Amino acid sequence: MSHPEFHYIGQHLPRKEDYRLLTGRGRYVDDVEVPSALHACFVRSPHAHARILGIDAQAALEMPGVVTVVTGADLALWTTRQRMAPPIEGLQAMEMDTLPVSKVRFQGDPVACVIATDRYLAEDAVEQVRVDYEVLPAVSSMCQALDPASPRVDEALPSNLISHQQAIHGDPKARQREAYKTVESTFSMHRQTHLPIETRGCIAVWDEGRQHLTFHVGNQVPHPYRTTLAGRLRLSESQVTVISQDVGGGFGQKIALYREELTVAAVARHLKRPVRWREDRLENLLASSQARENFCRTRAAVSAEGRLLGLELEIIEDFGAYSFYPGNYLARVVAMILTGPYKVQDYSYDVKVVLSNKVGNGPMRAPMAITSWLMEGTMDAIARELGLDPVAVRRLNMLHPHELPYTMATGEVLADITPRETMEAALAAIGYEDFRQRQKQMRAQGVYLGLGLCTVVESTTYGSRFYKAAGIPGSGHEAAWLRIEPSGAVNASVGLGATGQGYETSLAHAVAEGLGVAPQLVHLHLGHTDIAPYGMGSRGARGGTAGGSTLYLCARDAQDKVLLIAAHHLGLVDHTSLRLRDGRVEQLAHDEWMATDLTLADVARTAYLDPTALPQGMSPGLEFHKTYDPPPMTYSNSTHVCEVEVALATGAIRFGRYVVAEDCGTVLSPVVVEGQQHGAIAMGLSGSLFEHIVYDEIGQNLSGTLADYLVATAHELPHFEIISMHTPNRSTPAGIKGMAEGGVMGAIGALSNAVNDALAPLGVVVNEQPLTPMYLRGLIRKSFQSTNKA
Amino acid sequence: MKPAAFAYHRPESIEETLRQLAALGSSAKVIAGGQSLGPMLNMRLATPSDLIDLNDLTELAYVREVGDMLEIGALTRHAQIAASRLVLDKCPLLAHAAKTIGHYAIRQRGTLGGSLAHADPAAQLPLMAVTLGAQIEVISSRGKRILAAADFFESAMSTALTSDEMIKCVRFPKQGAQEGSSFQFFNRRHGDYAIVAVGVTVAVQGECAVRLRLGLGGVGAVPLDCMDMVQPSVDRVADAAWAAEVALAVSQALNPEDELRVPAVYRKELAHTLVERALVRALERAKE
Amino acid sequence: MRAMEKRSITLTVNGQNHEVMVEPRKLLVDALREDCRLTGTHVGCEHGVCGACTVLVDGSTVRSCLTYAIQMEGHEVSTIESVDAGGKLSPLQQALHEEHGLQCGFCTPGIVMTFEAFLKHHSDPSEDEIREALSGNLCRCTGYQNIVKAIQKAAEQMRKNPDYVAP
Repeated sequence: MSHPEFHYIGQHLPRKEDYRLLTGRGRYVDDVEVPSALHACFVRSPHAHARILGIDAQAALEMPGVVTVVTGADLALWTTRQRMAPPIEGLQAMEMDTLPVSKVRFQGDPVACVIATDRYLAEDAVEQVRVDYEVLPAVSSMCQALDPASPRVDEALPSNLISHQQAIHGDPKARQREAYKTVESTFSMHRQTHLPIETRGCIAVWDEGRQHLTFHVGNQVPHPYRTTLAGRLRLSESQVTVISQDVGGGFGQKIALYREELTVAAVARHLKRPVRWREDRLENLLASSQARENFCRTRAAVSAEGRLLGLELEIIEDFGAYSFYPGNYLARVVAMILTGPYKVQDYSYDVKVVLSNKVGNGPMRAPMAITSWLMEGTMDAIARELGLDPVAVRRLNMLHPHELPYTMATGEVLADITPRETMEAALAAIGYEDFRQRQKQMRAQGVYLGLGLCTVVESTTYGSRFYKAAGIPGSGHEAAWLRIEPSGAVNASVGLGATGQGYETSLAHAVAEGLGVAPQLVHLHLGHTDIAPYGMGSRGARGGTAGGSTLYLCARDAQDKVLLIAAHHLGLVDHTSLRLRDGRVEQLAHDEWMATDLTLADVARTAYLDPTALPQGMSPGLEFHKTYDPPPMTYSNSTHVCEVEVALATGAIRFGRYVVAEDCGTVLSPVVVEGQQHGAIAMGLSGSLFEHIVYDEIGQNLSGTLADYLVATAHELPHFEIISMHTPNRSTPAGIKGMAEGGVMGAIGALSNAVNDALAPLGVVVNEQPLTPMYLRGLIRKSFQSTNKA
Repeated sequence: MKPAAFAYHRPESIEETLRQLAALGSSAKVIAGGQSLGPMLNMRLATPSDLIDLNDLTELAYVREVGDMLEIGALTRHAQIAASRLVLDKCPLLAHAAKTIGHYAIRQRGTLGGSLAHADPAAQLPLMAVTLGAQIEVISSRGKRILAAADFFESAMSTALTSDEMIKCVRFPKQGAQEGSSFQFFNRRHGDYAIVAVGVTVAVQGECAVRLRLGLGGVGAVPLDCMDMVQPSVDRVADAAWAAEVALAVSQALNPEDELRVPAVYRKELAHTLVERALVRALERAKE
Repeated sequence: MRAMEKRSITLTVNGQNHEVMVEPRKLLVDALREDCRLTGTHVGCEHGVCGACTVLVDGSTVRSCLTYAIQMEGHEVSTIESVDAGGKLSPLQQALHEEHGLQCGFCTPGIVMTFEAFLKHHSDPSEDEIREALSGNLCRCTGYQNIVKAIQKAAEQMRKNPDYVAP
């Protein structure tokens, strides 16, 4: 589908990055050859919480191939501590050692690092490092963490409550008093991990002569990462280059500087030898950031007809042991956007984030994923308790187009979204009325079908004004450069970090549109901090809006200069009658565009090699730089409809159809966007069905291998039917909105709602995930027992 | 995760293998397909000093009829068993079960001998061996033994093999031409070990079940042979109600462990559901 | 402490012999990547679940993380680097490209190797059969749908053009 206004944006073109990836010629971190590099392997705590009494590496040092063993004490000399202290009310500051010096806080916490000539020998030596621990009682649940008598994960803090954010808008309590009913629901989301197929890894090359560190790492935010890395090593930013070429998935796990990575860099500098580290999968499950463990409660004040009068939200998040990211993040996102497409002005939230002796949390694709489950689960609960149709309840409360822009109770402004349209489109596509008929017939035969609905309003791109208003330091802008070479070749760059999203393709469309050349001819250079301009990197869904818009605007500047030169050459008064199309200058004559003799290459040659032929006062060359700050927030929206059958005997879920109507505004590359939609839905469904990081009561991680942490394979996932809608955002260049996380949000909500719909005759309501067969069968059994069935 | 160091041996004949097993003792491990042992080695859950690679013993990869038995060599890959016309014809329950092991890639490598020696309580081939009353021929430099499947599996992941023994072949009794069979199982995801698995063979004469074999995997430390338990149900009219009754009786007799992920009550219910399903399906096939 | 002697072995990879010095415990995937410098085969889990390390041994799919390099003497190993013969993508590679069946690309070589072998023996697989075979390869990016489409497309291409010889 091509947008009528655009020529290149929206074209269905296959990806430019495929050739090397298909033929095994990609350059992931572990593929980068560095002669004589040493290998790092970490000694990790077997205990969830323990004091480090002593580390004896003598036996390890005598093992073959071992060069050195470093500990927290060494790293304390070579690096600064980390201080996580954004000036946010209700957020406790935390300081962390590079490697723990006095105590470990989770099973897997790295306490020492063995450096050897190969990984095999390093692993042998790790086994010989003796660490003396004094085991301490562990905090293994959020309930325990909230108890003031519980052990403190960070003894510098007054309690395990790292963040407490509250806000009251309007008077939700008053609405409850006036309401026909207050519907209360709970939602318990389990702990998950990102599981990119490529684990973490890095290579540190220290050039002693130049006093310069070149750091190879797969990372989503190369420049901010470089800033942090340099700072922690007490180096100037000019002394550090970060290179991130091909990355085997990030999903939020490859953003902040990890302690292992900093250790590798520091050791390389200390030894004056290159050092590399490749995390293995067991370490990835044990010690890479995790996500999503929340317990939530909503209280919805409703009228007899199902109108939402007021809403209260409570969230408790188990944040793990370390604050690698600000602990208040959840408040900002989930609580702020919860009400989504519904009209309600009396709304309050209370968000508590607690520490526990588990891995520190990090944002995972759609960190706000629980939002749609909460809101849509609440709408279904309202329908259930009032005996109303769930679609009718949504229609009653959902924003109408004429009510936009709508300022949510929290002050967030929703504009250019189409929740009602996506909902109606998805319902029409699934055949809602027909389904209800079929459901009734099948129930009579003892087959339990269910339909789950979930409308998503996805916050995609955060502008600087958002951060400022939230009191979070940092910027939302992005930076780009574009250079047309003397031969007419087009090179471009932007500060994003590619981890599989097809930027080389989608961003080429943005440049193509702005400049007027075919996307196939635009070459993107990403991930190298000396080459790319300083940008904020890839997180959330900002790639399209922030990165795409910046490149588009930069390319427009380029086309402008090109046409000025062309106009001069053609002897025209100005360039308003010219455009560049497929690399050729065209002139508008009698309402028709006609090709001229001039190509981009001609103009470029002049600009570089014949500057005296340029217009008066114009400087030579065709090199452009641009920065762009998006609006404080942009939103995309979608509606997911999921059909399931629940087998009562086993609790197994079988998928029927899965339909999504998604409106993500202007789409740079429909091919890439569709891939993102599939991937996001898959991750949401996989998480809801299978994935679970389990810690036991003493903080032991029971999800140590891929036989324990299950992810969906090709056999478990349904076929996704996507209906694409495109309402442009009127405040971004080209109407780009961004997308890529909404699929996770929609899948989580739609699946749970579908299961509840299937089991409604039994009075079963699922309020926790994952939706394992054992969990569902347990609820079904209880229901039968209470009605005395077999 | 890299394995701990080991010395490597690749015998070219069975005799050489047995000599090495005798010499190296309990600190050695044999490797065939490597699908189960490989992960254990890489995670250092197993740290043998010596690894004996059986893959050159190609004479142990075969399926052949020997009288009223089907003899399958220890090194036969799951894919070969699943694709064998002979197995499908003479022992269809085994063929059906083999097709469900793991997924395509695993079946190219995993072996019958490896699966039996690994002795996972929920694995298909140990369950088939027990259900069908197979005989397992085990050899060493001291000679050979033939063990009934029920005697071979001692506990979860533990068999009667001594450290100098290896499995040579397994003999499965052929199923009767009149017999119907069914393999039913349930897992979280395709290719995972079953939570519970059931194998049934039944022969019908007129309306009555005259011969019934039933085995359950995943409900205890070893596959459970329920043949004795279901004997009272033989020589009776075999219909849907009969199947329900047998399934109930079997599940009530079970006493699985309560586990974090799978409560005992769930396993019992699952066994009930799967046994009933298997009986109904086997009856249908028997009556065809 | 055990002796960790390296042995000289010959690995025959993509038709070429490589003389390498390896400990018996060295994983085939590591020997391919480090000693033969063929980095197209990827390490994803080292316990046989994700399938990223899949290669062909004597034409059959093998997880190279569950195989020790020393086991490969006398066998023919084929890796992803052998698939695009003479610079031309195979029907499967081409189909994956056309159907957007890859994103980060890390699982892709494992999938290509699995299906180069699979399609050789299954010329007209159903979607169910494809998903069954694909269940041995984990992908975190694509949701599998486009990979399945690509495999179906490749199977069709290969039926039309029986001259194609898989590695």
